[in-house]
Amino acid sequence: MIHFERTKLANGLTVIVHRDQTTPMVAVDVCYNVGSRDEHPDRTGFAHLFEHLMFGGSKHIPSYDEPLQKAGGDNNAYTSNDLTNYYLTLPKNNIETGFWLESDRMLELAFSKTSLDVQRNVVIEEFKQRQLNQPYGDVWPLIRQLAYKVHPYQWPTIGREISHIEKATIQQVKDFFFAHYAPDNAVLVVTGDVDFDQVVKLADRWFGSIPNRHVKPRNIPQEPEQTEIREQTVVRDVPSDTIYMAYHTADRLDPVYYATDLVSDVLSNGNSSRMYINLVQKEKIFTELDAYLSGDFEPGLFVVSGKPSNGVSLDFARKAIERELDRMKQDRVPEYELEKVKNKVEANIVYGEMNYLTKAMNLATNEILQDANLINTQVESYRSVTSEQIQEVSQHIFRPENCSVLHYIAKK
Amino acid sequence: MLNRSIQPTVNPIEHIDLVKAESRRLSNGIPVYFVNAGTQDVVKIDFIFEAGTWFQTTNLVASLCNSMFEEGSRNFTATEIAEKFDFFGAYLQLTVDQSQGFVNVVSLGKHLSAILEVTEDLIKRSIFPEHELEVLIAKNKQKWLLENEKVRTLCQKKFTQVMFGDAHPYAINNKLEDFDQITREDLMRFYKTFYHSGNCHIIASGNINEEVLQLLDRYFGGTDWQQSPVVIPEYEICPSPVKKHHVEKANGIQSAIRVGKFWVPKSHPDFHALSILSTILGGYFGSRLMTNIREEKGYTYGIGSYVLNLKKASYLVISTEVGNEYIEPTLAEIAVEMKRLQTELVSENELETVKSYLLGEFLRDFDGPFALASSFKAINDFGLDYSFYDQALKVLRNITSAELMQLAQQYLNIEDFYTVVAGSNQLQ
Repeated sequence: MIHFERTKLANGLTVIVHRDQTTPMVAVDVCYNVGSRDEHPDRTGFAHLFEHLMFGGSKHIPSYDEPLQKAGGDNNAYTSNDLTNYYLTLPKNNIETGFWLESDRMLELAFSKTSLDVQRNVVIEEFKQRQLNQPYGDVWPLIRQLAYKVHPYQWPTIGREISHIEKATIQQVKDFFFAHYAPDNAVLVVTGDVDFDQVVKLADRWFGSIPNRHVKPRNIPQEPEQTEIREQTVVRDVPSDTIYMAYHTADRLDPVYYATDLVSDVLSNGNSSRMYINLVQKEKIFTELDAYLSGDFEPGLFVVSGKPSNGVSLDFARKAIERELDRMKQDRVPEYELEKVKNKVEANIVYGEMNYLTKAMNLATNEILQDANLINTQVESYRSVTSEQIQEVSQHIFRPENCSVLHYIAKK
Repeated sequence: MLNRSIQPTVNPIEHIDLVKAESRRLSNGIPVYFVNAGTQDVVKIDFIFEAGTWFQTTNLVASLCNSMFEEGSRNFTATEIAEKFDFFGAYLQLTVDQSQGFVNVVSLGKHLSAILEVTEDLIKRSIFPEHELEVLIAKNKQKWLLENEKVRTLCQKKFTQVMFGDAHPYAINNKLEDFDQITREDLMRFYKTFYHSGNCHIIASGNINEEVLQLLDRYFGGTDWQQSPVVIPEYEICPSPVKKHHVEKANGIQSAIRVGKFWVPKSHPDFHALSILSTILGGYFGSRLMTNIREEKGYTYGIGSYVLNLKKASYLVISTEVGNEYIEPTLAEIAVEMKRLQTELVSENELETVKSYLLGEFLRDFDGPFALASSFKAINDFGLDYSFYDQALKVLRNITSAELMQLAQQYLNIEDFYTVVAGSNQLQ
């Protein structure tokens, strides 16, 4: 259980404080409700490129990193399809430097041409490092493109192609900033040995004067229901064939999300999971086999991926996966097995409560999703899942017409 | 009126609470070092054996032997071991490095007894079943194939071979055919020789109370798993006479770069000051290499330098991945940055920045049970005590730009460095 207090400043900025008296540090997390799903289809990768630019100086502060380091601080950030999260840690007596830095870049960036030129290049190298020069680096982009025809989840955070990044202009950067970076579109979370009133006072002092930018609610085209199976085969210079099967699932706030998550745990979380025991250990059909959720806020994907053992065809491997998925549809998961996956989820939640920064990040992302308190109610949500619900959700998800299959073939 | 152009007052970090590990011995003499900290009922127990790759005479034996612990013991099958850990939401991590083999367990305190019961069996009575070994080898082969497609893996392998010589245990030189030559007997022999109470110590962190210590003694304190002491083999380091090396990887659009040289050990009087120097060069986001090569030139997504301390050697290495067209300019800039450290004083401003940053890192290294445990391990492995950190703090607070320049002149001569590039371009 994470106790926290929450308030909203007059300009719309949500402030959340969790007190952890065991650490000499504080975490300051500013999470913006903007991700690659908010991009224009011809300018993909923009949210992520923008994250880089957020370190290129703000209106009154030419360098972000140096003053932070002077205060003993460290920071990082990431962009997902759904949000952009910036977080820093500092010794607690230097907390105000965190507020100073984060509020100035929420107020306005420097919009430096040099920074754009350089970061464009950095991101292009990142694109190569993550995707083009990495075995299996293009798997996710291919799956997304196959599974989504309308929804912006069809492109990866890094962008659909390098040219989109190359073409970014300063005007587009400015427009993006004022459209999405605003107190009314963000949440500020502070964790550490801090007092709620003290944090609110600091927040008001540094963030209070930033204007509410009346960010428009997003209007994203929803993915129509898939009606027939989609298949794609690619040949790549990789060591072994791999099969990917992606099924559409519910969004993160749908009550069935928790049951869906447990389905993936029953199938492949840990060496005692079904698919591991049956298909890796006993039948030796695969050397690697995983089932996982993409975890996206809007309706996401349930992916099963597997590398068949030497000499096993992808077709045979796929049938073996389908056999396991059919079992999920036909039979109820026994009580013991359900208890096991729930225990594991619960233990993981406890492990996640050990660190002040992890707590700040979880509070922030859940508040963007809907409500920071989801991190406290999730235990009960998982606990109350029944084997009947698991069966129902399996029947609903594991339908051929709901599936996109990617055959990733090794060039011989 | 709020002045946004001025940084709020920065308060110096005056006090760092260097929480120390306590120690005691199990009944059979196994040293247990423990840190009781944190708010959650979580326990991490690291069983550490002097059983790293240093001790293997055949490639892969150390790591495969260690990995097989979860594949079956006298009283539990692989599936039963996995069931127990999964059911109690606990984690078992099996790893090896150059000097040690690890069996690390993370569990909720309330389930520790059940978890240690299995852990005892898999450590003391591992049986190396044939079928599971075959599966494991097939899995590892595929992983090997994947890893060896990556320029950074190829580069690191070559770099260690160049530095230490192919036959040295610090050189990574495993080959695909090694997987076919390994036998169950090799693993069992290694297991018998290195995994026993006389070759073990334990580091425990988290909610460590008397009950936890008693459980450890109950399961691991007996004399039933004693063997003769381990003889530590000696190897000679045979660095390559050639300083520049290339590894060809066809069709790559980026290349991996390693530039490194041997470094002083942790016990050396210059060690702490040199750590500050290497941080300035490439050890943090504001470092010279990051600023110049990423933030000004945009040649790479990331570049950094770090010092790797092994028991018998230490080295400094700069590592990055760059577009093929940026290989030469990157190497040139690395040389420029070293030269600058040798010829220009680090400004007061930069020195202040790096000092504050490192003090903040110090706080982080001593914050929370797991961080405290790894800070302890970082000295214990080298036979050092906590005065190492007192000394590090003292040097950090007092170091001057003049001293750093002098050290750079002594330690950062580009002609002493080995350069390895892995990619599809020939190194000129």
